[in-house]
Amino acid sequence: MERKIIHLNVADFSVAVERLVDRSLITRPLIIAPQVARARVYDMSEEAYQDGVRKGMSLARARNRCRRAVILPPTPERYEKAISCCFRHALPFTPQVERAPGSGHLYLDVTGTHRLFGPAPDIGWRIRKTMRRDLGLNPIWSVGPSKLVAKVASRVVKPAGEYIVAEGEEQSFLAPLPLSLLPTVGHDIENCLREVGIRRIAQAAALSRQDLYLLCGRRVETLYQALRGIDLSPVHPPAEVGKHFFFQHYFSPDSNREEIIQTAVLDLARQAARSLRRHGMCCCRIGVTLTYSDTVKVTRQVVCKHPATNDRELEQLAVTGLFRCWRRRVRVRTFELVCMRVSPYVQQLSLFQDINKKQQKQKELEDAIDVLHQRFGTSALTRGMTKE
Amino acid sequence: MIPLTVHSHFSLMHSTIACLELCEQARKLGHATIGLTDINNLYGLWNFLNACREHAIRPIIGAELRTAGQRVFCLVKNKDGYQNLCRLVTDRHCRPDFSPAAVSADRLQGLILITADTALLTTWREQELDIAAAIVDRPTQAGSSLRNAAHRLGIPATAIADVFFLHKQEYQAHKLLRAIALNTSLSRLPAAKTASPQSYLATAGEYKRRFQVWPEVIRNSHAIAERCSFQGPQFGLVLPPFNNKTPAEADALLRRAAFSGAKKRYGDQLPQAVINRLEHELQVIAAMGFSSYFLVVRDIVRPVARTCGRGSGAASLVAYCLRITNVCPIKYNLYFERFLNPGRTDAPDIDIDFAWDERDMVLQSVFEKYGCRVAMVCNHVTLQPRMAIRETAKVFGLPAYEINRVTKQLSGLRHGPGQGKNDLLSQLKKMESLRGHSFEKPWPEILHQAERIIGAPRNLSVHPGGVIITPDPVTDYVPVEYAAKGVPVIQWEKDGAEKAGLIKIDLLGNRSLGVIRDAVAEVRNNATPFNEDRWLPEDDPKTQQMVRTGRTMGCFYIESPAMRLLQKKADRGDFESLVIHSSIIRPAANEFIREYLRRLHGGSWQPLHPLIAETLNETFGIMVYQEDVSRVAVQLGFSPAEADRLRKIMSKKDKEKQLIDFRDRFFAAAADKGMKQQIAEKIWEMMMSFSGYSFCKPHSASYARVSFQAAYLKAHFPAEFMAAVISNQGGYYSTFAYLSEARRIGLQIQPPDVNGSRISWSGSGQQLRVGLMAVRHLSAHASRRIIQERTKEKYSSMLEFLQRVCPADDETRALIHAGALDSLAQATDTNTDTKSLRPGLLYQLAHWRQTRSPAGGRLFPPRLQVPIFPPQDPQERLRNEYRSLGFLCSIHPILLFDEYRKELNTVQARDLPKFAGKRKRIRFLGWPIAGKVVGTKSGRPMEFLTFEDETDQVECTFFPETYHRFCRLLHAKGPLLLEGIVEQDFGASTLTVAQAQPVPGIKASREEVPSVL
Repeated sequence: MERKIIHLNVADFSVAVERLVDRSLITRPLIIAPQVARARVYDMSEEAYQDGVRKGMSLARARNRCRRAVILPPTPERYEKAISCCFRHALPFTPQVERAPGSGHLYLDVTGTHRLFGPAPDIGWRIRKTMRRDLGLNPIWSVGPSKLVAKVASRVVKPAGEYIVAEGEEQSFLAPLPLSLLPTVGHDIENCLREVGIRRIAQAAALSRQDLYLLCGRRVETLYQALRGIDLSPVHPPAEVGKHFFFQHYFSPDSNREEIIQTAVLDLARQAARSLRRHGMCCCRIGVTLTYSDTVKVTRQVVCKHPATNDRELEQLAVTGLFRCWRRRVRVRTFELVCMRVSPYVQQLSLFQDINKKQQKQKELEDAIDVLHQRFGTSALTRGMTKE
Repeated sequence: MIPLTVHSHFSLMHSTIACLELCEQARKLGHATIGLTDINNLYGLWNFLNACREHAIRPIIGAELRTAGQRVFCLVKNKDGYQNLCRLVTDRHCRPDFSPAAVSADRLQGLILITADTALLTTWREQELDIAAAIVDRPTQAGSSLRNAAHRLGIPATAIADVFFLHKQEYQAHKLLRAIALNTSLSRLPAAKTASPQSYLATAGEYKRRFQVWPEVIRNSHAIAERCSFQGPQFGLVLPPFNNKTPAEADALLRRAAFSGAKKRYGDQLPQAVINRLEHELQVIAAMGFSSYFLVVRDIVRPVARTCGRGSGAASLVAYCLRITNVCPIKYNLYFERFLNPGRTDAPDIDIDFAWDERDMVLQSVFEKYGCRVAMVCNHVTLQPRMAIRETAKVFGLPAYEINRVTKQLSGLRHGPGQGKNDLLSQLKKMESLRGHSFEKPWPEILHQAERIIGAPRNLSVHPGGVIITPDPVTDYVPVEYAAKGVPVIQWEKDGAEKAGLIKIDLLGNRSLGVIRDAVAEVRNNATPFNEDRWLPEDDPKTQQMVRTGRTMGCFYIESPAMRLLQKKADRGDFESLVIHSSIIRPAANEFIREYLRRLHGGSWQPLHPLIAETLNETFGIMVYQEDVSRVAVQLGFSPAEADRLRKIMSKKDKEKQLIDFRDRFFAAAADKGMKQQIAEKIWEMMMSFSGYSFCKPHSASYARVSFQAAYLKAHFPAEFMAAVISNQGGYYSTFAYLSEARRIGLQIQPPDVNGSRISWSGSGQQLRVGLMAVRHLSAHASRRIIQERTKEKYSSMLEFLQRVCPADDETRALIHAGALDSLAQATDTNTDTKSLRPGLLYQLAHWRQTRSPAGGRLFPPRLQVPIFPPQDPQERLRNEYRSLGFLCSIHPILLFDEYRKELNTVQARDLPKFAGKRKRIRFLGWPIAGKVVGTKSGRPMEFLTFEDETDQVECTFFPETYHRFCRLLHAKGPLLLEGIVEQDFGASTLTVAQAQPVPGIKASREEVPSVL
């Protein structure tokens, strides 16, 4: 059956959301960035982009480049709410809706829904219409036989519009486009091919697998297929399991002060422990990723012999992970913690009366704290040592 | 209590205390005696002794010997103790297994040893050494045990003030220094690696309060101080001995050598003037005991073919006859007394230049000959504002790109005691180059902290050429350590060495001697005979014409834009004028240069005063040479020694204080001689123009000789000369600029070629071949291998080249993009342009890489069949070539803008003089090649920049207003469209810029490759 994938993309998503909240911002360039010292640009409007503002740029520099821009702090909960609304608008047409990385992107697999909702372009029109009407957002939409082609089609029409690529037209659609529009082509591959004079997709597609392998090395099969518009990856509906056990702290401003970083790490560890307990799970390994302000990223894992679920165990693992990662004195921008080897928590009861009373008391205390947190929120009761 | 163990900032990256501030504060706090014990060094000995003298403090000399687990404070009691301390400190640096416990008792005589280590105290007690137990900072439990142990051993326990900063609030600066040294942040700095917050210099009363429970430890500190009577080393002049000859034997040897050398220089019949001068000089040299010094220097110079003896030593006829120098002092009227005179109390030195790549061999032979009696002089590298800001910002965790954005814009930033209330932040905010920088948090804090550590010594480096040779082992005079490059260095800078009486010989590296050597070798290599014995470049008309017109790019010392412009304005190409010009061109002498030019071109002038008329007659009444200062001062009644001191002070950095005294005496002397105040002020002002750096006449003459040699080679053998200039590197301009100059003088540039290029550049006739050294990313090893393999057989194909040379991937890519492998590309019937076949070469490289890698090894390797690649964009090819070489071989990149130039009706550089004086605004598209930011009298920055196109160079002036507007554009790579007025001064044309803008559509870029390409 002919695959029909719709890609919906709200360009400059967070800007679009902020403009929904305050209509007076529509006519003015907008930069989204936290208003603290050494802040980085989170997102920007098309006008600011034209003035040279880019994501990740320091706010001071962005201000210099676009002095007329309005600067607003990011409100992630608002964006989350907005993308959830978009998601809900897409769900009536297909259960196969994927929230792609980066806010404002949705993939819909509408293969076989022709009899229910009509042709795929109609669905695209209808979703855009309802999103415009209900949310005030105006997404780009594109239809293609794969996620890859649909995404390239969206990039072609960005910042507004729609594009339809029928099955069989992938190659002719891609052929004249520059290589940089293809999502699988990173800077390294683009540079390799540009060195031999190849700048367009058609020129690269003319190379054999062997030639591509020689010039670009690894991952050549994916590239070879992408150049021909072949992408068999399915649309993934959001998974419930897993997302609860990923935690991130964004340091704003960034810092290299040990007390600040350790406090944040301990806080994340406790959040993780709480989350595990709430789901009746435990973990045997944690992964920590530390990103420095110069974008250098270090990832380490820590394994424990016994499944961990309480605060102290997770804290110890997290701090061990932190000090394995943290070797430089450059400021830290983000710290991520992910619980791995997660399994249901099973407590093996002892046949004899040799229960560790200290552990037992600790568990009772944590249970009591969990109850309080559930009832009054996590800020109602915190450990003294987390206070700066 | 006596602070016996104070650490100055010469305890590198531990202490924040400058010696002068230490003594000032000590005096304020009522301490009459101070002991300085820097960690494992005597770096600051002379600074400390001077500061003590200034503030009437009694110094105690010592050092802290610190090893992994032990601290021993050594205080010097007498001369023997000083020698032993020097040896101990040397051993601490040179012996990895050094331990105080292993040092024999006779090496510890003359010292008072203070430590908190009971085991050491016990051992030393048995050896009956002069020791004391150290109770550090305050009474503690550990201190109590130590005091009891001392009591048991029958030795005194003394209170120790372990001082690392002067005031309590400087603890933060101390921590900052420690964090910099340990490469960590403030919050992760281990407490054990820092001093305690109490380690500041307190009053005697406070120390008394701290130790009131053990009053005897305070008394003991006084007793120890009493026993330290050594007030500093007094060696007199320490001259190198010559083969263990007695002074009389050395005098006789020198006389023989001088007269024998004179006969070789002047012929067997020596002119009477030469004999008289030799007799006079030899008499002075013998009287001052310098005969052996001359003989030692002669022995160093003798094995080397090409040297340039310079500095005041070049005024000596004896040095000329010994071939230490190359300029005849009689012919050029050089003043011997500037070098040696009986009244001179300080140590004169001889400076000798060697070709830069021969210098290390010369040094090596000196080290081999003199062994432990020779060492190099060190430099104390201090934290300058840029480094202090950079290091502090690193401690605060800022990423490198953010730090660079500030520190790379700090050229010209001076910060020190003279800046008054202007703190670093406000200074930086005022800088043009940092306009628009927000200095948001934490920059204010970083700058505030950085300010506190500016001036602190950070590490030792090796002086560029200073060598001392002593009669006894150097460690008898000063501690020695090994520099990173493996040479022994003394722990004092040149000033310290001079104060100690250690005579320095400067053996320096000079690029231009290498250029001349290589150019001459290349000329001979090209089968052109070249006799250096009868080489008189000063008298060659073609060379003189080149010097006169300032077309001396690449020639030693006369290639800078300022110097070339001066040559043009002066319109003189003779040797004597060049000697004047290379001396008058100094930072503070601009207005005197103008006046000199006016007088040179026939303007009328009168001497400022009849007293100095004769002295300055040769230079049109203007002080040009360094010795003019002392000569004028002598005319006004100063003694020769005093006048020489005045001259010397001018070149010092911290001269203000001493100058005040000299100024008063100068004006008093002038008044005594009946000179009007106004005239005296003019003379004094002229003298002040020698502050900073200035040259003496012998030095200028020596340099002018080398300049003329270089100019001769450029005039007669341009290809060989330009090849040598670029190959030796280190000139004033970039390779890009030299290549443009080569094109302008009619040379054809041949691209690099693995089958034709040498490692260095080569020139013959009108051809200049790019050397493999120009290819970026190509290692020296790969270059050598390419040449080595080629000598066996030339390369015939790409694959053969790869198999025989096995270069790294990035090296081959660089070679391909540079065009060095074009000759190996297989031209086809349809495509004969080998340049366009570079993608095919890259493909062959990729194929070769895959087939040879173990991971990619296959049973049936892929067959090589180069696909047909799309035609390469010429812009892309040029961009890659530029990225690989830093220039284009085929064209000047400005030719890519021909259309644009026509559209805007721009003027070419060679036509600019036609618009001089017309006050008509013209447009010029130029490529920047050199620039110099200077300050106006009112302190506003402005810049002189040299731009070029394919026809010529243009000197451009950006006055403060224009500079303020366009300074951000000026250091971007790529061409700039300039608008302004052509002005002419003494026949030389310059462009006064009113407007600058990048070429529309092309972004000004600070990246390696200009976006134009």
